[in-house]
Amino acid sequence: MDFELDADQRAIVEAVDALLVRHAGARRAAELAQSGGYDHALDDALEASGFAQVARGEETGLLEAVLITEAIARSAGVVSAGAALIVAPALCAEPLPGPIALAERGDARPLRFAAQARSLLLAEGDEARWIAIEDGSAEPVDNRFALPMGRWRSALPEGQPLGAGSGERMRAHWRLALAAELLGYMEAALDLTVGYLKERHQFGRPIGSFQAVQHRLALCSVLVEGTRWLSYEAAAKGADPQACTTAAAHAADSARQLFRETHQLSGAMGFTREHDLHVWSMRLPLLRVELGGASQHRRSLARERWGGAPKPGGGT
Amino acid sequence: MEFEWTEPDAQFRKDLQDFLGENLPASWEQIAHHGPGADQTADFSRSFCAKLAERGWLTQSWPAEYGGEDASPWRHAIVSEEMWQRGEPRGSQYMNVNWIGPTIMEYGSEEQKRDHLSRISRGDVLWCQGFSEPEAGSDLASLRTRAWREGDDYVVDGTKIWTSYVNGAEYCFLLVRTDPESKGGRGITVLLAPMDAPGIVVREIPAVIGERYFHELFFDRARIPAHCRLGAEGEGWGVVRYALAYERVGAARYARAARTLDSLAAHAREQGLFDDSAVQEKLGAALTLVEAARILTYRVIDLRARGSAPTADTNLARIAGTLCENAVSDLAVELLGTEALAYGHAAEAYFRMAMTAGVAVGTTEMNLDLVAGRQLGLPRS
Ligand SMILES: Cc1cc2nc3c(=O)[nH]c(=O)nc-3n(C[C@H](O)[C@H](O)[C@H](O)COP(=O)(O)OP(=O)(O)OC[C@H]3O[C@@H](n4cnc5c(N)ncnc54)[C@H](O)[C@@H]3O)c2cc1C
Repeated sequence: MDFELDADQRAIVEAVDALLVRHAGARRAAELAQSGGYDHALDDALEASGFAQVARGEETGLLEAVLITEAIARSAGVVSAGAALIVAPALCAEPLPGPIALAERGDARPLRFAAQARSLLLAEGDEARWIAIEDGSAEPVDNRFALPMGRWRSALPEGQPLGAGSGERMRAHWRLALAAELLGYMEAALDLTVGYLKERHQFGRPIGSFQAVQHRLALCSVLVEGTRWLSYEAAAKGADPQACTTAAAHAADSARQLFRETHQLSGAMGFTREHDLHVWSMRLPLLRVELGGASQHRRSLARERWGGAPKPGGGT
Repeated sequence: MEFEWTEPDAQFRKDLQDFLGENLPASWEQIAHHGPGADQTADFSRSFCAKLAERGWLTQSWPAEYGGEDASPWRHAIVSEEMWQRGEPRGSQYMNVNWIGPTIMEYGSEEQKRDHLSRISRGDVLWCQGFSEPEAGSDLASLRTRAWREGDDYVVDGTKIWTSYVNGAEYCFLLVRTDPESKGGRGITVLLAPMDAPGIVVREIPAVIGERYFHELFFDRARIPAHCRLGAEGEGWGVVRYALAYERVGAARYARAARTLDSLAAHAREQGLFDDSAVQEKLGAALTLVEAARILTYRVIDLRARGSAPTADTNLARIAGTLCENAVSDLAVELLGTEALAYGHAAEAYFRMAMTAGVAVGTTEMNLDLVAGRQLGLPRS
């Protein structure tokens, strides 16, 4: 066991952070949230610098993909990072046209990035499919949750099956991607809130100096760090299904708590568009319900651990 | 003890429901979706409150001498529940009726009572609440907006923030510091400030929770006639405490939570999810919290009906209300998934409104402090 990033991994994280300082960040995310837009320029920059393909690299793999996805989320990038960096490489040898959306067959609810997607990865029972998406296949769904959502206008083409076992592989990687993105959002939301409460004075002292507040922030930190290491472990284990489910269950449940606590402790300021919290916090409810949310992750986890052979499809 | 509604109260609720059935147009849900601060809601509240007033129901809890019917606080609770369930069609006017009017009755001059109470009871005037400041949130008593006398006016200088319901508001229930040397509660004065006074500039603060929720009010040597002062100069903190005791039980937020939960259960049935025991357990857990908020609120109303001084029960009820709202909006997202996050969906409007439950009208933490001190007698840190 070794919990330190090696020199190459550190260099990757530094390099992607440097790129994100130029191409992403809260201000840009806030503008995109207002307009419902997608950050194609950021996708291009990630592609051009090779970060988008790390999971397919010779020297790099899933853990690097998770670290980069987390960094993109921490910088509030409005791109489909988890799907592109973590999920797609597990299913297709060649890069797919992006943006990539992820869905389960039969779920007609609004979907992240549907209106921008050029590829859809669809989990259906034991199999996953790749479907090329035509422009205009989905209509945008107006929302206040800081990422574009859309809804299919009509039935989608059948697409291309990705082979037996691809369904389970897709769900495991999707869960890992969710954990990595939620991790980035939670870290950033917590950091911002801690910083704010160090500065904000009431009753003649920083609000962050009150023990009742400190304990709650400290608990949030336990949740974030738990999500971090479970996600890294799942990645290092090559997206072992049970490890991915654990990470996703922990992330989704922590996201509920982080959403409440960061907003509660930021007071009225946290509800404004002038304070950056919303660009991360508002995504938490959106991601924490994907793929059935904590409730499905937990059920799957119990079955994976004690239920004998996993049911085909991994759903309920 | 008795936990039943009296026959007349039950009948009143029915009559009120019928009235709402007749007077809330099909478009109301859409109007309400814009949020309580939006122009559409403010406009709607004018015609709606006028109709309520005609029926004698807008201010029935007020004393007869101010045009009310001396109705019991239980009537007030019924009105609050029925209104909140439907997204509060009274808009900001619930504040007028719940605490602005009663505070003017207690502290106002004859002239103020005449001018303000009749308009409030006709339902044709909008108010906003100028308490919070950029540096005075939880610690409201540290407010700094200055006011000093010049001739027949107070000159007001400072900034108020987070002010809701500003559009269309003719008056602001405004807290200022008239004694520059004072600290804390002493030296604060209440002004019933006309919003068209020269020197008041309004800026909207864009918010994720909805349109026109928040504003900043800049007072740049604004001149407010001295006769607008409510109560004695420097004695405003007592007025505020009186007002807040009324404000805090004002809104039956749990009633909207209960209605949202009903629609979630109906959705679960339609989708064939209701027989899933995990779904039942979650619905049951949320309903328990809704019921706890309801009964703790009733406890406060009971105390008021007996004429007792406010106790920490008020704070307990507020905290329980926030717990129930958080649970219901979490469950909405869990059961409906991303559908509950699409703008235009009733659960989405509920989610954004419920987000603020622990902050608006006194934070959960300040309420917890009061419970710890007043109810549990714990020493102050
Ligand atoms: C929807 C909405 C509508 C509003 N409308 C109005 C209005 O019309 N007029 C008006 O005047 N105001 C209004 N407000 C403002 C509201 O009264 C304040 O938001 C509230 O008093 C808290 O102040 P703050 O936002 O500055 O939070 P802060 O005081 O900055 O507090 C931030 C967080 O720290 C916590 N905290 C602070 N001190 C302590 C402590 N000692 N121990 C533990 N925790 C602590 C708080 O509880 C809170 O969770 C509104 C607010 C909202 C959300």
